[in-house]
Amino acid sequence: MSEEKQQVSRRTFLNYTLTGLGGFMAAGMLVPMLRMAVDPVLQTSGGGDFTNVGLAVDDITTEPQRVDWKIDQVDGWYESEVSKSAWVFKNDKNEIVAFSPVCKHLGCVVSWEGNEDYPNEFFCPCHNGRYYKDGTNVPHTPPLAPLDEYDQKIENGMLFLGKVRTREEAKPREEA
Amino acid sequence: MKWNKENLKQYVQAKEYVDTIVLPLMPFHLSQNAELEKSAFQREVLSIFLTEIEQELTGRIMLTPDYNYLKSTDKTTEVERINAWIEEITTQPFEHIFLITFDSTWKKHEESLNGHLLWLPGIQSGDLHSKEMHTFIHGQVEQISELIQSYW
Ligand code: FES
Repeated sequence: MSEEKQQVSRRTFLNYTLTGLGGFMAAGMLVPMLRMAVDPVLQTSGGGDFTNVGLAVDDITTEPQRVDWKIDQVDGWYESEVSKSAWVFKNDKNEIVAFSPVCKHLGCVVSWEGNEDYPNEFFCPCHNGRYYKDGTNVPHTPPLAPLDEYDQKIENGMLFLGKVRTREEAKPREEA
Repeated sequence: MKWNKENLKQYVQAKEYVDTIVLPLMPFHLSQNAELEKSAFQREVLSIFLTEIEQELTGRIMLTPDYNYLKSTDKTTEVERINAWIEEITTQPFEHIFLITFDSTWKKHEESLNGHLLWLPGIQSGDLHSKEMHTFIHGQVEQISELIQSYW
C-alpha cells in the first residue's frame, strides 16, 4: 500500500515538474512578447529603424523646415549619441519630402536659403554648393549628386524617419 | 574632418577644400576637490560642442587632437608650445586657425597666440541629456558655426 502510494506520488511529482517546466518555458517566451506589446519605450522604436522626429504632419508646409533628433549609434567600438537632422516640406505634388542635409561634396550641413543670393535653394556654406528645392545639385557648384532622402512613414499624425537613401536607391515616386 | 584614419585619408585627397583648423584647448587638474566635477563637466560639454561643430562644417574644417595642459600652469610657456603646434599645422595649406576653449585665462594671452581664440563662457553644471541642454547647445553651435563662416 505504502509502496503504491509512493509510486503514484512519484508519477505526480514528475508530472508536476514537467508541466511546471513547460509552463516556465512558455512564460519565458511570453514575457518578452508581452513587453513588446505593452512597454511604451519599445513600442516607439518597434517600427524597425524609424524614429519619431517630433514633427506633426499637419505642421509640414511647403517651406522646408529643419528637424533635429538624436539616435544611439553603435559604430564598431563606440556607442554614441549621434545628432541627425533633415529638411522636411511638402512638394508641388503635396508629397512629404525629407532631405538629408549632408552635402554630397564633402559632407557639410546645408541650409534652406542659407545664402541671400540664392533664394529658393539649399546652400552649403563650406564651398558654396547649391541644390534646387527638389534636391538636384546645381550644375557648376561642387556637389556632383542630388541630396539624399530619408525613408519615411506616418503614424498617429507624426512623421517618422528612417534610413537615408540616395536618389537612385530611393523608390521612384509614382508619377501622377 | 575628425582626427581619424578615414578622415585623414579623405583630407589628403581633398586638401584644397579643407582650409580651417579647430584646435581645442583643454585644461586638466586633479588638485582641487571642489573644482574637479565642474572642470570634468566642462570638458564633456566642450567635446560635445566640438562634435557638433565638426558635423556641421566637416567638409572644410579639421578638428585636431585636444591640446591638454595643467590648469595651474604658466600660460606664457604654454603659448610657446601652442604656437609650435600651429607652426606644425601650417606646414599644410591651412588658412584659418581657431583655438576653442572654456578657459577664460587665455583671453589675456590672445595677442601672442597665432590663431583666433574662441572663448566660450562655460556651462557650470546641468544634465547633458536634457532637452533644454540640447536646445542650448544647438543654439550655441549655430552661432559658433556662423562665426567661423564669417572668416571664410
Ligand atoms: S561640402 Fe558642400 S560644397 Fe563642399
